[in-house]
Amino acid sequence: MMDQAATGSSPSDRSNPGAVPDLDGYRRQVRAWLAGHCERRNGPPEPHEIDYYTPEVMATNRALQRVLFEGGYAGITWPKEYGGQGLPAEYEIAFLDEASDYVLPDFGVLTGTTFHVCVPTMIAHGQPEFLEEFVPRVLAGEALVCQFFSEPSSGSDLAGARTRATKDGDQWVINGQKIWSTYAHLSDWGFCLARSNWDVPKHRGLTWFAVPSKSPGLTIRPIRQINETSEFCEDYFDDVVVPDRNRIGDVDHGWTVTQTMLVSERGAGRPLGSSEGVRPGPIAPDLVQLARRSGALGDAVVRQKLARAHTIDFVGRALAARIAELGRLGRLDAGVAAYGKLFLGTYNPIRARLGVEIGGAQAMSWEPSDEQGADASMAYLNSRIMSIAGGTNEMQRNGIGERALGLPREPSFDTNKPFTEVLRDARDWTGTS
Amino acid sequence: MELDLIGDQELLRDTATRFMDASCPLDVVRQLNTTDTGLPANYMQDAAELGWFSLLVPAEDGGGSVSGDGLRDAAILAEERGRRLQPGPFVPMNVVASALATRGSADQKAKVLPAIMNGEALATVAAADGAGAWPPGAGLSASSAGDRFILSGCAGLAQDAALADWFLVAARSPAGQRQFLVPSSTPGVSLARRGAHDITQRFASVDFEGVELDADAVVGHPGGTADDLERQLQLALVLSVAETVGAIEALFDMTRRYAIDRIAFGRPIGSFQAVKHQLADMSLSVEAGISISAAATRAVQAGQDDAGEIASMAKAWVGDTGIDIAQGCFQVFGGIGYTWEHDLHLFLRRITMNSLLYGQPDWHRERICELHGL
Repeated sequence: MMDQAATGSSPSDRSNPGAVPDLDGYRRQVRAWLAGHCERRNGPPEPHEIDYYTPEVMATNRALQRVLFEGGYAGITWPKEYGGQGLPAEYEIAFLDEASDYVLPDFGVLTGTTFHVCVPTMIAHGQPEFLEEFVPRVLAGEALVCQFFSEPSSGSDLAGARTRATKDGDQWVINGQKIWSTYAHLSDWGFCLARSNWDVPKHRGLTWFAVPSKSPGLTIRPIRQINETSEFCEDYFDDVVVPDRNRIGDVDHGWTVTQTMLVSERGAGRPLGSSEGVRPGPIAPDLVQLARRSGALGDAVVRQKLARAHTIDFVGRALAARIAELGRLGRLDAGVAAYGKLFLGTYNPIRARLGVEIGGAQAMSWEPSDEQGADASMAYLNSRIMSIAGGTNEMQRNGIGERALGLPREPSFDTNKPFTEVLRDARDWTGTS
Repeated sequence: MELDLIGDQELLRDTATRFMDASCPLDVVRQLNTTDTGLPANYMQDAAELGWFSLLVPAEDGGGSVSGDGLRDAAILAEERGRRLQPGPFVPMNVVASALATRGSADQKAKVLPAIMNGEALATVAAADGAGAWPPGAGLSASSAGDRFILSGCAGLAQDAALADWFLVAARSPAGQRQFLVPSSTPGVSLARRGAHDITQRFASVDFEGVELDADAVVGHPGGTADDLERQLQLALVLSVAETVGAIEALFDMTRRYAIDRIAFGRPIGSFQAVKHQLADMSLSVEAGISISAAATRAVQAGQDDAGEIASMAKAWVGDTGIDIAQGCFQVFGGIGYTWEHDLHLFLRRITMNSLLYGQPDWHRERICELHGL
């Protein structure tokens, strides 16, 4: 999901703009360029620890992003007027295919939030004079964008945002608090949802802004998580001023922007891999190590658990491949895309629990040198991330139920009255109006 | 359902579904348990004319698939059969046809295989042990007497054994596993009908009491039989899983529509999150089942070295989640699902039976570990 899709390529030759090469020629061009400018990977990419990403690691990847940008292989499908290459999606797919053995820029979660979620949405709804300056900087690796979406009092209920945006001449003043903003402390910008009108129903008084992370009055604090790292932040907006040109979309019509973003976030518009060739590989290597260490590999119950974990791993990948294939065939909607997330949200906790069960005492109390026990414990603590972050399982179930299955919505009591009244009445709500 | 059907596969599917809808819709299926054969008249012959039992047989042996990928074509049919809870030994007939095409003697290929492909002869697999469990061949033993063999033991859960002209059996022997193609009329072969959970299909135990077989009953070579049985198991798993997935899809869609149509407390019940979320979870299992079924079909079709493992994962996953889905659908229907007249129980029975056939989920999970050398 955090692939390098949007950092891709474009028919590089900046001195010869306008000519769209044929796809085979483009591939040859990409191949030659990669060989001359990028480094080959040693084996498949391995997932990094959550605390792997530091300002130094980001700097290295920013430099690599600039290499792509200068070579003409950043923003392959993004508009030319904003520094992209303006090519059809198959060129980006071709680039990623050719580049699959090379080291590409990796900003962790910020790769996805920047290149797949926030900036494509900004391009769709932002003001040209802002985008002309901003987007090329994104493509050059100078502007990583985090999400100022959730708030302490509105997580899943995104439209219930209470961060306040007040117009003041040709600028806006933002006050409030955001939370769960992944890697905000490593970002350059944030995409911020704020309430610009409190006297209309909640979906009709929202406005989006692009906010520099270093803005005066904006305090970003990493949150210490149960796994003892700090991936998420909390962000305090205290009279943060942004010019009106940073406004993304029309005033009070932020929900339209949100719709664009949710589709983008769930995978539409992203180049998707092939569904062929999904192979199971070795059986749950982490859990086999645990079982081997405790001498339980011959235990019938443990063996059932190993095969269960392995099957979960492979079915998840087969499902992701099917969703990718639906995307390739143009049959993906947000409801169907939600299956991938709900699968992980449902089965990651089950798999992690299998690990703790197989590990037994080792996963609860380990020798300092025993990485497997510590890993099983950590995986268990981290296993509900996908069940909650980016929309809880319950939100995915609503989305699937209503969009994929055609089931009617629950009645809501907050969509038609002014937001100030919603806030006033909520505590005394009795279920009747 | 595979997503990228080619035109000829769509034609195969459409022809098959028209045939099934005309000759054996659900209201016919629910009456079959009171008939002699458990099949509509001429069902197998008509199905054979549509090519149902030729798909895994190469063209030079008189068979042929529409896409060149016979197993994918057969899986499409299996899934559509599952949607309609079709009766009859579709999976065993295809397994036997494939076995004879690849390992049969010249005589078997000349005399038996064509009759199976055109539906004149019915063949079934008798490979489970007396309790219906796998691995194949566990219930039978073969001893050699000169150039003849003596077969003894019991094979359980043989589908449509009462209609079969031929049994493809697997047996243990001092020289390792062996396979035989046994005429059902051979002295010493007898059937024991049993009560049945799944009233849409028929199964019987087949007893072999000192059954004497000529050498020409042998299928395959002594050293190759284990591999042959593995291949046959993979084919059976792919087709059985595809059939179950079809049944699950149809049952789930019935339930989804009911949740929209059924009004309680002034609203369609599917608008309540308690019901909606159950349906969303079930539909996740449906989608995952479709995905793993397609992956298994491709792996076995391509003869990948991990095909056996993937087929077992598909069987274990769909076997478990299929029952969860069937039970969940039962809960959404409520009391009406407990009535004989409602179709839910027919699906519940088939899905539960299929979870057992060709190895229960636990058996496949153990097999997965063994395939990984654990």
